[in-house]
Amino acid sequence: MIREMRFLLALWKANLLSAMEYRVSFILQVLGMMLNNAAYFVFWFIFFERFESVRGWGLVDMFVLFGIVAASFGLGVFLFGNIRFLADMIAEGRMDYYLSLPRPVLLHSLASRSTISGLGDFIYGLISFALAGQYSPDAVLRFALGVVVGTTVLVAFLTIAQSLAFWIGSASMIAMQASNAIVTFSLYPLTLFDGTAKLILFTILPAAFIGSVPAEFVRAFSWEQLAQMSLAAVGLLALAIWVFQRGLRRYESGSAIQVQV
Amino acid sequence: MTAIQVEGLVKDFETRVKQPGLKGSLRALVQPEKRIVHAVRSISFEMAPGELVGFIGPNGAGKSTTIKILTGILHPTRGAANVLGFVPWQDRRKLAYRIGTVFGQRPQLWYHLPAIDTFHLFGKIYERDDVEVKKRIAFLAEAFEIGHLLETPVRKLSLGQRIRCEVAASLIHQPNLLLLDEPSIGLDVVAKQRIRDTIRQMNQVEGVGVLLTSHDAGDIEALCKRVIVINHGTIIYQDRVSALKRNYLTTKQVDVRYAEEVPPDFALAGVETLKVGRYGAKLRFDVRATPVERVIADLAGRGSLLDVTISDPSLEEVIRTIYQADGVAVAAA
Amino acid sequence: MKKIAIYIAIFRTQLINSMAYPADLFSRSFMMLIFMWVFFQLWQATYLSTGQNVIAGLTLADTLWYLMVAETVLLSKPRLGQEIATQVKDGSVAYLLNKPYNFLLYQLSVSLGESLMRMAVNLVFGGALVWLLVGPPPHPAALPLTLLAILLAWTLDFCIVALIGLLAFVLEDVSAFEWIYSKLVLVLGGVLIPLDFFPEWLRSFALSLPFAYTTYAPARMFIDPSIGNVLPLLGGQLAWLALFALILSFVFARGMRRLAINGG
Repeated sequence: MIREMRFLLALWKANLLSAMEYRVSFILQVLGMMLNNAAYFVFWFIFFERFESVRGWGLVDMFVLFGIVAASFGLGVFLFGNIRFLADMIAEGRMDYYLSLPRPVLLHSLASRSTISGLGDFIYGLISFALAGQYSPDAVLRFALGVVVGTTVLVAFLTIAQSLAFWIGSASMIAMQASNAIVTFSLYPLTLFDGTAKLILFTILPAAFIGSVPAEFVRAFSWEQLAQMSLAAVGLLALAIWVFQRGLRRYESGSAIQVQV
Repeated sequence: MTAIQVEGLVKDFETRVKQPGLKGSLRALVQPEKRIVHAVRSISFEMAPGELVGFIGPNGAGKSTTIKILTGILHPTRGAANVLGFVPWQDRRKLAYRIGTVFGQRPQLWYHLPAIDTFHLFGKIYERDDVEVKKRIAFLAEAFEIGHLLETPVRKLSLGQRIRCEVAASLIHQPNLLLLDEPSIGLDVVAKQRIRDTIRQMNQVEGVGVLLTSHDAGDIEALCKRVIVINHGTIIYQDRVSALKRNYLTTKQVDVRYAEEVPPDFALAGVETLKVGRYGAKLRFDVRATPVERVIADLAGRGSLLDVTISDPSLEEVIRTIYQADGVAVAAA
Repeated sequence: MKKIAIYIAIFRTQLINSMAYPADLFSRSFMMLIFMWVFFQLWQATYLSTGQNVIAGLTLADTLWYLMVAETVLLSKPRLGQEIATQVKDGSVAYLLNKPYNFLLYQLSVSLGESLMRMAVNLVFGGALVWLLVGPPPHPAALPLTLLAILLAWTLDFCIVALIGLLAFVLEDVSAFEWIYSKLVLVLGGVLIPLDFFPEWLRSFALSLPFAYTTYAPARMFIDPSIGNVLPLLGGQLAWLALFALILSFVFARGMRRLAINGG
């Protein structure tokens, strides 16, 4: 564990150095993404100006929800930037490099790239949470835990979606839509959905664990939600690793490209 | 004691076949039609520690697939392999500490960073001590003459400079075995020569074994003691490079040109006709059976000679001969 | 009349080209479905919680059909500003000086050709889902008028984006301006929420700016094609379009003259 952490730190340092080669672009991407998110949030300002609350959710709750989702998404794509390109890397045989080095392939490949704008998302998430005004130490701790769970669930879910490439070849389009869908759904209160929709958001498209469940957990501690979140994070992560490892056995490297029928 | 031992290695790929057009796409979606491609069909060979072995064959012969199985990147369909005491696809990570790899078409250096940053990262990946890594980099920088390139972002290096840095990067952790897949691809003659020199040097200085694939016979000729010729997934020849040349250099090749047109059935006694053009021909003969003197005399007797070139075949030609003996039509080696 | 035939041909080529990747076309519409589904859940809950059938003059069905058109207008249009800026920067715009067509009209034809097929697919998919959720559109007969308004909206949008692209004559990087414009449309164009739900001061502010006429106008006309609603919106579209077209052709002419004198 400590060995892998030390290696991850070196990798992230290299990512950061890479990004710093283009300093102005770095700052613009971070600031741009923060403003971008703020522009979307104007919608909720206008909405709650008129309606005050919807199904038990008010402006402050929405600050927390956006905080969790933006920070989770930002952290995920900043630390594990290849989560957006894994399917292409598999299909184009670009996993060779990671397979020829003595480190865990999934961890190494995901962390070998950093999406800089993710840092903007992450900072925006922190600001959004700060605006909610919940400064008690345990609320902050619950928020931090919520972000860790959100990041884990998001990265695990996207790993599974992208790993489809091992079986169906080109999966980048499906993975991109899966990513858009889970982020979109996570940005709305879970109480809007009922029955089947809710079931889907807890299972196939686990958006609940990236948004509403951690956000409610920040509002008030509950053992039930803590258990749900832990189970979801650990379970999905294990599933993602298992799926990826299964897929690696089917990995065809770049040779498959030459084999044209 | 062997560095690599391979026994009956087989790798099949399954590919989906799609009929053209939208209809074909839909059919492929519902009922995919599959075809098995045999990339490697039963390969067996051995390699001693510190040996320099070349793998040569045309594109798609199965060279890269074999190398990838030996590094643990691909799982074989059947067969056994042992690399430095490990089964690659089972002990991938343990093996990775002991071998270095360069894939000519897949750079491992970080594109936007100076090579030295990747070198240090590799130090971390292989869990080497920082001081030791610094010493190692200094040593490699001198050996590869890349000291002046290390601080430049890789994107600004020429291809030849970059490949030298790539090979150096693969040696950071002092591997016992170097697996190189097409290291010289796309390089010009001078850059190729420098890469060959550095690889040979590391073999002599550190005794690191080298298994090299190439479709350029020049790489093998300049570097390797032993050559394995592979085509359509099977080994069709393996021997020492010197033996290969001794056996095949008994032939000479003749290019002849005449002032007038030559008949399409142009032939000489004891000489093999390779190709007949309108004004000339390409011939080959064995000096043990047919003296050079007689061939020249015969050629002169056929018309007014414009030009004659008699040459030893290159390794490339030799290998082409082997392919032909194997009964395989090869467009380009 | 011959000139117009050129642009129609360009438009057609682009239209056919946009159908070359049906998978891409349909996968874009997938997001349209997700958005409409989420919007439905949100607004249904909102209407239920207020206990009113009509909010700010709109029913739930009005709101959903409005959002469907607004999203379609936004999701179907191409990213053109960067392309124009690139052509200005790398000098390829100079080579168009001796071509028998107008650079701007050429770009407009390309842009409309690219958008039209996407719009059709988005309208069909999004429309089908919304119909399923809240019933038929309140005024189906308003569709031709809406399509006309979408055309005007895109042309207005084109003029603004092209103007930003032409800033490349004087600025290194115009992407920031294009980005700001897209955010202004998002906030003040009524993409995520009808302007009718805005506080009154913000609504009249938004209506006095051009952004509302690139998205809000066609969407609003679709759910209420009454003369009183359509005339000011259509008038606004035409007025802003005239103004920006004028500025654009002026800036373009100036830029080209500079190019002709100084070289590319």
